[in-house]
Amino acid sequence: MFKKLIAESTAKSPWLFHINSGSCNGCDIELVAVLTPRYDVERLGFKLAGSPRQADIVVVTGPVTRQSLDRVLSAISQVPEPRCIVTMGSCPQSGNVFKGSYSVCAPLSKYVHVDVDIAGCAPKPEAIMDGLVKATEILKQKRGQK
Amino acid sequence: MNLANMTDYHHFPIYSVMVLFLGAFIIAACGSKPSKDPKNPAGFRAWIALCATALSLFFLGSLVKPVMLEGEIISYWMGSRAIAGGYAIGIAMEVDALSLFFALLIATAVFVSAIYSIRYMVHDECVPQYYVLYCMLAGGVLGLVLSGDIFNMFIMVEILTFAAVALTSFRTKVYGALEAAFKYLVVGCMGSTAILTGVIMLYAQYHTLNLAQLANLIPGTMNNATKLAFAFLYIGFSTKAFIVPFHPLAADAHGAAPASISVLISGVLTKSGIYGIIRLTYFLFQTMNLGSMQFMLVFIGSISMFVCVTMALAQHDFKRLLAYHSISQIGYVLAAVGLSTSLGISAGLYHAMNHTLFKGLLFLAAGAVLHETGTTDLGKLGGLSKKMPHTTVLFLIGAFSISGVPPFNGFASKWMIYQATYQKAVESNNIGFLLVTVIALVTSTLTLASFVKVSQSVFFGQMPKEYENVKEVPFGMRLAMGILACLCIVTGLFPKTVTGVLTEPAARAVANVGEYITAMGFKSNLPAPNVTFAQVGVWEPINWLLILCIALLALTIVAVAGKYDRVSERTEDDTVDTKYQLFYGGEKNVYSQVGGGDLFWGFKHNWRHYFDFMHNLHSGIVNDYALWAVVALALAIVYMMIVL
Amino acid sequence: MTANIFLNGLQYLGYILIFPGFLFCFLCGMLLVGIDRKLVARMQKRVGPPILQPFYDFFKLCGKETIVPAAAERTTFLVAPIVGLAALVVIQLFIPIHGFTAFSGMADIIVILYLLLIPALAAILGAAASGSPYAGIGLSREMVTIIACELPLVLVLLAVAKTVGNALGTGLCFSMSEIAEYQLQNGSLITKLSMIPAAIAFAMVIPGETGSHPFDTAEAETEICEGMHAEYSGAPLAVFKLSHAVKVLTLTSLFVALFFGGIGTGIIAFDGVIVFALCVVATALFISFVHAVTARLKIEQVFKYYWTVVSGLALVSLVLAWYGM
Repeated sequence: MFKKLIAESTAKSPWLFHINSGSCNGCDIELVAVLTPRYDVERLGFKLAGSPRQADIVVVTGPVTRQSLDRVLSAISQVPEPRCIVTMGSCPQSGNVFKGSYSVCAPLSKYVHVDVDIAGCAPKPEAIMDGLVKATEILKQKRGQK
Repeated sequence: MNLANMTDYHHFPIYSVMVLFLGAFIIAACGSKPSKDPKNPAGFRAWIALCATALSLFFLGSLVKPVMLEGEIISYWMGSRAIAGGYAIGIAMEVDALSLFFALLIATAVFVSAIYSIRYMVHDECVPQYYVLYCMLAGGVLGLVLSGDIFNMFIMVEILTFAAVALTSFRTKVYGALEAAFKYLVVGCMGSTAILTGVIMLYAQYHTLNLAQLANLIPGTMNNATKLAFAFLYIGFSTKAFIVPFHPLAADAHGAAPASISVLISGVLTKSGIYGIIRLTYFLFQTMNLGSMQFMLVFIGSISMFVCVTMALAQHDFKRLLAYHSISQIGYVLAAVGLSTSLGISAGLYHAMNHTLFKGLLFLAAGAVLHETGTTDLGKLGGLSKKMPHTTVLFLIGAFSISGVPPFNGFASKWMIYQATYQKAVESNNIGFLLVTVIALVTSTLTLASFVKVSQSVFFGQMPKEYENVKEVPFGMRLAMGILACLCIVTGLFPKTVTGVLTEPAARAVANVGEYITAMGFKSNLPAPNVTFAQVGVWEPINWLLILCIALLALTIVAVAGKYDRVSERTEDDTVDTKYQLFYGGEKNVYSQVGGGDLFWGFKHNWRHYFDFMHNLHSGIVNDYALWAVVALALAIVYMMIVL
Repeated sequence: MTANIFLNGLQYLGYILIFPGFLFCFLCGMLLVGIDRKLVARMQKRVGPPILQPFYDFFKLCGKETIVPAAAERTTFLVAPIVGLAALVVIQLFIPIHGFTAFSGMADIIVILYLLLIPALAAILGAAASGSPYAGIGLSREMVTIIACELPLVLVLLAVAKTVGNALGTGLCFSMSEIAEYQLQNGSLITKLSMIPAAIAFAMVIPGETGSHPFDTAEAETEICEGMHAEYSGAPLAVFKLSHAVKVLTLTSLFVALFFGGIGTGIIAFDGVIVFALCVVATALFISFVHAVTARLKIEQVFKYYWTVVSGLALVSLVLAWYGM
């Protein structure tokens, strides 16, 4: 019973930790927009956590610059299991317009397993919410497997 | 003299003092050659000191039954030279419940500190001499509280001041030790001189030095010379108690002295000052029914409480911080005793006892930190709880006790002080006493803040690299701390028993001056008072603890069933995994300890003008402090002349 | 005889475990926090999370991995949350619900004030044991908030003690159950002139003690990464979240018991509901509303606010109570 309860709760209370790996701030603003009264992602239980220790979903924006790569990876490693890694915007998926630059390490999936990609430059809030909900389903699955 | 006569308990007070002085003499006679054992450079001399203190404690402990429970007052004339022609000509010891109460505190602290010293005093030179001074200090204080003769009190003050100054500067290589000793010497001598002057003035008028006889003669015949003597004596004993304005001396002395001596300075020397003030005000001059005298003691007590706790918040050295807290707690004692109600006196004495226990424990913990790391600077330490788990637990017990966290002993006594002050306010319809309650309550929280600072800066937080090899302190030191910690818990959990056996008889003795006089063989027509210790509040620590334990047990069962303890931890061979590093916003781990003197800047910022003022005031120059003493004496004289 | 003792023991165990102990604290505290979050959302024109959201959060956290950082002192780190929660639940047992107190005559208002320090202290020590510098800053701010709240709380409680003592003719009354009894006979304390500023001051203390906006400097998630809880994850964090919920319940029910006592029917089940309803109103007014309309203060502003405005109000109340109004 408790296992089921915990699995159900995992899907209903995903906390986000947001890492900016050199983003232009476009995606960051959109992520905050999702929390505003117009979209209010909190009705699904989402909340921005201040520390990776408390997070379930890590949202990475930006093209993963060489400067930030170590920091991104260490912050991700500090998130307790089960966790879900979401890349947001085109940058962490492909490098976007920065692709090929000596100082950009994108895609992020070269270094860690990425669960959900939210495409767009920047993605629309509706798309972000859709991606986050998909992430919660993956979280629930991961929880169920344990 | 046969054996039966020698084991009569009426001799025990003098035995308990003599055994310490005898110990000092034997140790000194054994020469100063250090022993070869690196773990105990004083060799058998340390054991002599330990035996002397243990014997002294035993003698006093066996007096509990007749004096505390049966209410006997032991009067003892040295060489059987009793009263002649209505005047006391011999040297007398008079042990009533008040004397015995303080003597027991002192003997306990001295005994525990002696246990601690054996393993603690290993890195120093001249350790054998340390024990000579140690026994002299202990004997001096014990003699002071057991004496029935005011001139003997002065002699004992001289002995203990001399020993305390020497012990303060014992570690001459420590920065500031000689300076601290010098300051203590200057102001302490001013105090001793003040006492001597007071004694002389009393003797000139009343031709006697016996406390009981003086108490019989002085009230009703107060003239300007008596008032002057009172002011001198009061200031003299104030310097021994380190209450405001003599608090800066304590900070310096504690900071420089070895921890085992800090225990004595804070737990024992200050008590002798408080004892002197109680004897003066309640017995000798019997002025405590005057509102003005109550006001004076309560006012000075409250000021000491608040000023010293704020001074402590500004400290960045472990031992100096403890020193200021010591005076702050003495402020509680003085304020409670100054209320002149039975509950107030009982509460004050209870707090005095608790102060000896928890402050001793804290100083010993500070000593343990110093012993292992070589520093007490809050800014340099950190994270020692992993290396010294036992010391940490013991320190926390002391810290909770002093901060008045239930169910430890500090709370039990402070709780009585809150009630006593509030009751006094209601009874006398004076809102001023209510202010004391508020100050006491707030001071308690500030004390907690201060000890949160210490635990974060020293025992928790991050550990600097140079302390990787720090070990737990030897068993002997932990044993001494353990004894005090157990006493802290026990006296906190059974407040009714403790007050019933120890503080209430002492408070009754304070109220019943007539009996003190008649026990010595003088005629007194002071009536026996009606004493009640009614409390308005309720606090049942045992029941509370029982409920908490059941609640904890229930939670633990749930937690264990829920695999609460199944955690991810770094394994031994895995040292680079970032998962177990602290979160620094993704950055690599660097040493960054939040702690030290300025931890509560949110508080200090609002009080910055006050702290600036205090900082400028405490210049650290001995001339200034001597000036304070003179000004305090002048003020006391003027005040006594006006109000008495 | 033995059966009697057994039954009594069972009854007390029921008090501790079910009502008004753990189960009641768990359900009502979580509901209060859920209602609070919903109300704040509605005030900000959002839909807001479901009212059961705190339960979801709690169970989710129970299922998460617990990471103990290498720099942390393991035992303190893990034990602190549990001790804090147990201490809080025990306080709840001393707070009267209408005429009923689970364990009366063991602790009075000043003792309760000091028992309230234990959970805060547990949280502080847990944070200190984690070794994180964010937690260090968080605990520093938490301690300053405690000092800030202490003065007004002390003044309020002394004023209450004096008012009830005056009315009873004893001059002083610290006992919680006597205060409840007095209110049963003579109506709520809030109807007294001298108690109105005290009630307002206490209401202002509630958000500070529970660490909600605008006094949540200790857990400021946007600036110091959740402060004291920066390194906590999984079950210990769940216990901390639960403790926070219980603390909201404790403080609001203390508020209700002190100033709005005497409202009830005499039947425990109904009284429990009525007290809870009053707690909800108190939460809505003093936590949610304040949360929705304010932004976070700086720590020195928190301190200044409590020691000037709130303490001033409480002092007015104390002086009024002293002169028998």
